[in-house]
Order: sequence, then structure tokens, then C-alpha cells
Amino acid sequence: MIKKLWMLLSILMIAAFVLTACGPQAAQPTEAPAAPTEVPPTAAPAATEVPPTEAPAPTEAPPTEAPMAAVTIQLWTKEGEADGGLQFVQGLTDQYSAMHPEVTFEVINKEVETLREDFQTASLAGAPPDLLWTVSDHAGPFTAADLIVPVDDMFDLSAYVDSAVAAVVLDGQTWGVPISNGNHLMLLYNKDLVPEPPQTTDELITMAKAITSGDTYGLVYNQTEPFWLVPWLGGFGGKVFADDGVTPTLNTPEMVATLQFLHDIKYVDKIVPAESDYNGADALFKEGIAGMIINGDWSLGDYKTTFGEKLGVARIPEVTATGLWPAPYTSGVFFMIPKGLDETKLAVIKDFVEFTTNEENQLAMVTTLTRLPALKVALDNELITSDPILAGSAEQMTVGTPMPTVLEMRCNWDAMKPEMQAVLADQKSAEDAAAAMQSAADTCITTLD
Amino acid sequence: MSAMKSTSSLGRKRSFFYGGREDSSFKRLLIHSVLIIACFIAAYPILRIISVSIRPGDRLLSTNLSLIPPDANLQAYTTVLFEKEFLQWIWNSLVITIATAMVGVTLAATSAYAFSRWNFPGRSVGLIFLLTTQMIPAAMLMVPLYILAIRLSLVGTYRGLVIAYSVTAVPFSIWILKGYYDTIPLELEEAARIDGASQLTAFLRILLPLSTPALAIVFLFNFTTAWNDYLLARVILGSQERLLTWPLGLQRMQGQFQTQWGQFSAASMLVMVPTMILFLLSSKFLISGLTLGSVKG
Amino acid sequence: MISLDLVAKSLTEILSTILYVVGGTILLEIVLYVLLVRFLKLKLAMPYMLLAPAAVGLIALVIYPIAWELNISFTNMSLRHFKVTDYIGLTNYLRVFVDPVLKQVTFLSVLWKTVLWTGVNIFFHVLGGLGLALLLNRKMHGRGIYRTLLILPWAVPQVIAVLAWRSEFHFEFGFPNLVLKSIGLQPIQWLSEPTWNFIAMCITNIWLGIPFMMVILLGGLQSISSEYYEASEIDGASAWQQFRNITLPLMRPVMTPAIILGTIWTFNNFNVPFFINQNELESSDILVTALFRAAFQYNRYGFSAAFAFIIFAILVVYSLTYLRFTGGLKGAFE
Repeated sequence: MIKKLWMLLSILMIAAFVLTACGPQAAQPTEAPAAPTEVPPTAAPAATEVPPTEAPAPTEAPPTEAPMAAVTIQLWTKEGEADGGLQFVQGLTDQYSAMHPEVTFEVINKEVETLREDFQTASLAGAPPDLLWTVSDHAGPFTAADLIVPVDDMFDLSAYVDSAVAAVVLDGQTWGVPISNGNHLMLLYNKDLVPEPPQTTDELITMAKAITSGDTYGLVYNQTEPFWLVPWLGGFGGKVFADDGVTPTLNTPEMVATLQFLHDIKYVDKIVPAESDYNGADALFKEGIAGMIINGDWSLGDYKTTFGEKLGVARIPEVTATGLWPAPYTSGVFFMIPKGLDETKLAVIKDFVEFTTNEENQLAMVTTLTRLPALKVALDNELITSDPILAGSAEQMTVGTPMPTVLEMRCNWDAMKPEMQAVLADQKSAEDAAAAMQSAADTCITTLD
Repeated sequence: MSAMKSTSSLGRKRSFFYGGREDSSFKRLLIHSVLIIACFIAAYPILRIISVSIRPGDRLLSTNLSLIPPDANLQAYTTVLFEKEFLQWIWNSLVITIATAMVGVTLAATSAYAFSRWNFPGRSVGLIFLLTTQMIPAAMLMVPLYILAIRLSLVGTYRGLVIAYSVTAVPFSIWILKGYYDTIPLELEEAARIDGASQLTAFLRILLPLSTPALAIVFLFNFTTAWNDYLLARVILGSQERLLTWPLGLQRMQGQFQTQWGQFSAASMLVMVPTMILFLLSSKFLISGLTLGSVKG
Repeated sequence: MISLDLVAKSLTEILSTILYVVGGTILLEIVLYVLLVRFLKLKLAMPYMLLAPAAVGLIALVIYPIAWELNISFTNMSLRHFKVTDYIGLTNYLRVFVDPVLKQVTFLSVLWKTVLWTGVNIFFHVLGGLGLALLLNRKMHGRGIYRTLLILPWAVPQVIAVLAWRSEFHFEFGFPNLVLKSIGLQPIQWLSEPTWNFIAMCITNIWLGIPFMMVILLGGLQSISSEYYEASEIDGASAWQQFRNITLPLMRPVMTPAIILGTIWTFNNFNVPFFINQNELESSDILVTALFRAAFQYNRYGFSAAFAFIIFAILVVYSLTYLRFTGGLKGAFE
């Protein structure tokens, strides 16, 4: 009897095994027929509802779409409610649906990492969403796994800021349409404590020392994330990748100099707190305990509310030793289009993307979310040049450098993080840390296959 | 509790197994002090969450140690309750959780009956299998579960989630119930059957009423499993805005860099309320039930 | 807020769920009845019929994913080989032991970390739970209040509790450091220093786990008849002797399942090590968090599948051994 049961169990297991082995492949046939449907170049624009711009005017002319069939677009966005992003997205979709009643949107918010994981899983299962509104560094993993389509033929990308588009160019193709550009770090200061921003690092240290006492700090920043290390690396003339864009170059004199600098401002000059993560730095700055903070453009709205006129925005000061401006990474928020969509949906999506990134909506984004636009025309607008905060942000962006989005970048981030923390915790020397970073990154690269 | 005098009063406080009113006042003071300190340690982190929820400005951290910040207000609570879909999430969670508990208890009650009352081929294997399911790292299951859910079109439905939760809670429930059934003598059911009752009647009228404590435990366990779960909800409901349960909803309050800490903490506190009520109501059952099932080892 | 039609919608969903489940079960039972009773004429048809619904559910939700993962563990699935994969045999299993499982740390060191983690936690769980249970096991004023407050850590959803503790371990703003500073001691870098981070993890988990132990052990204590103590008092036994010879042995049937379950749950505890370790210190990772990172952060699907099975195997061996010792499989018919 027991033998029979074991047989039954083994048959069940084998059956399940076989089912699963057949499983993933079953998803593929549905992809193949859909792929060739790269939407043919846009039909001649009929009516336009937007003042003339270089971008091909979005059309609501029915002839280019399928006959008024109801279409639902599932849009996954990384925009959350905290900074008003999700509300902005929903506003856009509502507007669009009002203009095109046959189109309904399902806007789903997912945190950045969750969005990446879920998109990969959903694609594997053959049921991806219809449109993504996400960060540029997702281009790497999604293209490696072949989950999204290139957009060179679908849109006129010359209308967008070059550095923005460059961020998602991999293997000679462009994989997303930029919505906003920036996401860069800059120097923010409390004018009560710091009337004029420092121009060089020597000035920074002097000013900060003047303010630092037992209860206050001159400078705070997120000491746990390598994102905050990279600008300084640029300031010392270093880069994380060699010229080929995929080989890590972390064990360099520039990296050692950067690590040493960060270590020294903490332990020698003592202008930063002993331990400080994002929330800690943020709290210290908001409570007026820190005079200066290095934070990103996403925090501008929040600080504007807290400080009002007292908020100052400037470039991260020039490194005295090299005379170079620190180069924070700029990246953007992009539309990405999953593989396997049918023609009708693709047409609607194309239209929606163009609608979202037209001048009117780009300027609306500037005012609502305090973010820099990706459309060239919008960037030159008065709205930005006259606002000191936005102008300061744009100034910083001009010396920024696009964040690499290749799959290998993940290895760099992962390699830098613990070593940076070790140096800042005074547990490793800068040289040892740089060497360790390099070996970790190299090991990681081999596992990518 | 015995009224016997505890003559060995020189021992450590832990050695008194049936202390009563005859304990020396010093000993009583000591015991109460220790317990009060323990309660403080148990409750303090929760109190801190409450203070974040009444502190304005989304300030998660503050150098101010006081539990009630100087500028406290209840705005986070009103925002969460009335301006967000929080009540909707709670409602969704409640509906799913109660359904799960009902299904789970039924499944466990019948299956445990089989394990307890019969010796059939595959019984030991089954019991061990149930135990091993507890050892599977959850991360391992996420991707294939999602694929399976799509194939069986369970994605975005309550159906899939209720089934998934019940099945998750089944192994532990069966073990507890089986242990409890084992302590109830077979003779009772046999006597009933001799009197002409069918097996079903014996089960329903004799065994189940005697097992109320263990059934309460299983109900509670199913409830908390479904109420607090994030992973399965994310896998199955992840793309349905109107069906979100509260763990998914709370996740939405966390942005990439910014988080609305005030509202997040307020929501966390509100979420604990149903659980606490349930725990309080069933604490009696909880204690006797958990142990009676294992006395027989 | 909440709208009426959403309420109606979810109610209909639930109703249809229940109908689905009930309908499916009835169908299943009918099929089994015909098969087992009429066709095969099995005498022991009843237990199988009772177990069928749970079995079907478990097979779908547990066996299918395990089989899928087993399949994947023999392939090189990763981001570059996502939809189409190649079979590479046992290479992944070998890699788990030979290559670093994260960036630098190896399997054996993470295993050791996990064993240490489990041991420390269970030790304090039992110690604390037993201590509190002993204290509560008497008539006293406020017993109900104490019990309610002490259960709080168990009632709080784990994720919320862990996030609360993580804030407490913050260098500048957390309670422990603020207290240390006020006494004049150096504040501790809980989140960036490996040793202290591990201690922080343990503190959090101990806080979380003591109530569960306490509740179980209290019940066990209450079921010990006081006659034993009375009798031993007459014989002149000391308090310690009473503890060793009466309390402990009679508590064993209660403590055994609690300890075995507690060990498995602590070994596989994901929330605490993952969220307390926000700086992603590799030294603080235990097996399941390393598995999660391998699977989702590094997307080494094939590798992590093999990794998962190895963890699983370790736990199976442990449990089988433990069960053999305690005879937990016996039933009422024996």
C-alpha cells in the first residue's frame, strides 16, 4: 500500500515537473506575432490642440486609431503620493480620458524596486502591463531580459534634452521617452545659518567649521548610499566605468582621493555627524540643526514648504585640489513600453506619451512637482529661469553627468556601498576600500551571466 | 491555587510556583517591578510610533524624547481615515481575512480529524510534509506562484487570495487540531456510534464542541496570517487598485525617497486595533488551547 | 473614504469565492466517492476524502512552485537568460558552496551566522518567556493588564514593529543612543557597525518573540497540578529541586513543539534581519535574506533556486531528527 502511495506521489511530482518545464515556453508564442507591429510613422497630423512645437503634434483624429473600441491601458508608475507624483499622473490620465472617452487608464503605483521585480515576473508569466512610468536605470535590466521595445522609430526624440535621452541609449537604440530630467544632487543651505553658499571645498570646510558646535552641524548628507559619493568622484576626476561603459574602474587614485576626502571632512574637519542616513540628514536639516545638506531635486518641494525664502540652492562646491565641479548623476523618469502589445494599444500609448510630454504638461509638471522638464522648449521657459530654486537646480544639472543605466551598473552600486560605509565608519583605509570595491564589482560582473 | 504556606521563602523569586497572598510584600514588590519594567519595554516602541503619528510635518525622527510632542495634532489620523482609501483597505482586508478564517478552520478541522482518527497509508508522510511546508523560504515561491496564479486566472481576485491564505495556514492548523483531537478519547465517539449516530454526527456533535479552544486558536491563526500578510497579497492582488489590502496600501505611502511618516504611523496604529480586539477577546482560549493540544506530546 | 458600491463589489467577490470553494469541494468529493468507494472499494476511503480539499490546495500552491523552482535550479536563468534558459545540471548547487552567495560572503559563513542568530534568539526567548510565565503564574492584582501589555509585541504586525525598532536604532534620534548620550557614554553606531548591527537584530527579534513563548509556557505551567508541589514540599524539596524535577519535566510536552516551531520560524525569519539591516551589511545577512537578495536584487534566479533547496534540506534534516526524538507523529488511535 505504501509502495502504491509512493508511486502516486512520484507520478504527481513528475507530472508537475513536466508541466512546469513546458510552462515558460508556452508564454513565448504569444510574443512573436506581436513584435513585428512597430507602429508605422505617425499619420499626418489633423487637428492639433497644442500651440505649435517641434514635436509631432498629438492628434485626436479618429482615423489613426481603431474605430472607437474601448481600450484599457494599464500604467505602472513609480510615482508615489508623498511628493504629489501619483496625483499628477492621475491628473494626466483623467485629462486624456476626458479627451478620448474610449480610453480608460488603470494607474498602479509601485515602489521602484517592487516595480522592477513585478514587471520582470509579470513579463515572465506573459502578462505585463501596457506602459511603464519609471526610472532610467531600469533600462539596463529590462533590455538584458528583453522585456521592452526600442522607441527610436516611434517618437521624435530630438525634441528632448540630449542628456536625458542619452541615459537610456543602450546598444545604439533608445529604450524610453523622457518625462523629467534631473534627479540630481545639489547643495541646499539654510540662509539663516549660511548666508552665502561656498564656491570651493576649502570654503565649504571653513564655513561649516564655523557653524559646527556641539549642537549643530555644518553639513549633512546621506552617508549610506553611494549615490552621494559619485558627485565627489566626478569632482576628483574619476568615473566608475572605463570608456567601454561596462568595465568597472573603481580602484583608481581618484576613488581613493574621494574616499579620503569624505573620511576627512568627518574625522579631521568634523563637520558632518558620525552616522546619518537619508531620514537622519533630512530631519537634521529641517530642524535647523544642520546648515547645509546635499540632497536631490525631489526634496525641493518639501524644503520649499518648510523654509520658504530661507532655502538656498547652489552647485556642490568645486573641489579645490582639482578645480573641477563635482558631477552628480542626472537621470530621469521615462516612459518605457513593454513588448508584446497589440497595434491598438500601441497607437493609444504613443498618443498619450506625446500628450504627456507636450509643452503645456511639461510646464505643469515644473510647477506641480518642482522637477526639470525633458522637453527642450520647456527647459528654456521663463518659469524656470526666473525661479531661484529651479534656476539653481538647472545650474547644477549643467555640470552633472548622465547616470549609466547598463546592467553592470548594479555591480558598481553594490560594490561601492559597503566599502563607502566602512571608510565612513573609520574601519577601512581608503586604499583598501577602493581595492575591495574593484574586486567585488569584478566578481559581480561574472555572475551576471 | 493551593493555600499552603510557602515555607521555602529564601529562594529566588522564580522558584515560587504557586505563590499566593502569603508571599512577602518584598517579594511581591519585586515581582511587580520586574513586570512593570517588562511591560514598559514591550510597549515603548509602540508608544513611539504613536508619537510620530501625532507629530506634524512627517518627521520620523526627532531629538525630542517626549512621547507627546509639543505641537501634537491628530491631523494624520483624520487624513488617513477620511482622505485616503484607508477604510477601503481595511474593509478589503477584513472581508478577505474572515473568509480565510472560515475556509481555513473548516479545512483544518476535517483534515485533522482524518489524521487523528485513522491510520492510513501515507499518514506519517503527510504529517511530515505538512511540517516541511513551514520551512520553505517564502522568497522561493513568489515568482512561480505568480505564474500559477495567472495560469489559473486567480490574479486580481479575492478567490485566489483566500485560497492561498487558507492553504498557507493549513499545516500549522492541522498540527494543532490533531494534537487536540488526540487528547479526546475515542470512546466518546464510539459510544455515540453504538447508539446509532453516523460518523458525521459523531464528528459534529461530539468532537467539535469539545475542541472549541483549539478551533479558536486556528481561527485566530488564520486571521492573523491573512490580516498581516504582504507577500501573497502583492503577488495576487498587486495590480488591482480597488482590491488592495492594508499592507499593500501602507506600502504605497512610502515613496522612493520621501515617506509620509505621519500618515504611515497613524495607519499602522489603526491597523492594530482589530487585531488587538480579537486577541483580547480570545486570550482565554489562546492560553489553554495552545497547550492542551500538546500535552500528549 | 469608502463607497457603497465598492463594499457591494467586494461582498459579491467574497460570496463568489465561497461558492467557488464549496462547489469545488463538493465536486471533488463526488469524484472521489465514485472512484474510491464504488470503483476501488477501499475501506479506508474516508480519510482520503476528508483530506482531499486540503491536499489539492497544497499540491497547487506548494508542490507546483517547488517543482518549478527545482526545474529552474538546473538552469542558468538570470536577467540575460530570462525567457529562454539552458540546462546546466548541478552547476548552481556547486556554485552555492564555492562562490560567494552575495558579493563577498560565502555560504558557510552565512550558515554559521544563521545558526548563531537562531541559537541566541531561542535561548533568550525561552529564558525570557519562562521567566515571565513563572512570574505571572500566581494570583495577583493586575495580572490581566500585565498579560495584555506583554502580548503587545506579538499583536503588532511584524513589519510595523521592525520599522519602529529600526528608528530606535538610529544614531542621532533613537532612544538607546539618546539615553547613552545623556549618561555620558559614547553613542553606538547600530546600523553601520557589524557586531552592533547583529546585536540590534537580536534585540528586536527577542522583543518580538518572548510574548509567544510566554503565553505557551504560562499555559503549560497552569496545567501542572499543584499537588505535585505540595507533595514535594512535604518531602522537604527546595525550590530549585522543585523546578528541576517537577516543572521542567512536566513542561516538556509543551516546550518541545514551541521550541521546534520557534527554531524553524527564527531560522527563516526574513523581516527582522532584512529591515534592521538597511545598510545592507553582508555580515548581518542570514540564509533567507541572502536568498532574497540573490533572487530579487541580483536576479540570479537559477542560483537562488538551488540555494533555496539547500536551505530547505538543512531544515528538513533538522526537523526529522527532532521529531524522531520526541515522537510527535503519534495519533489518537495508538
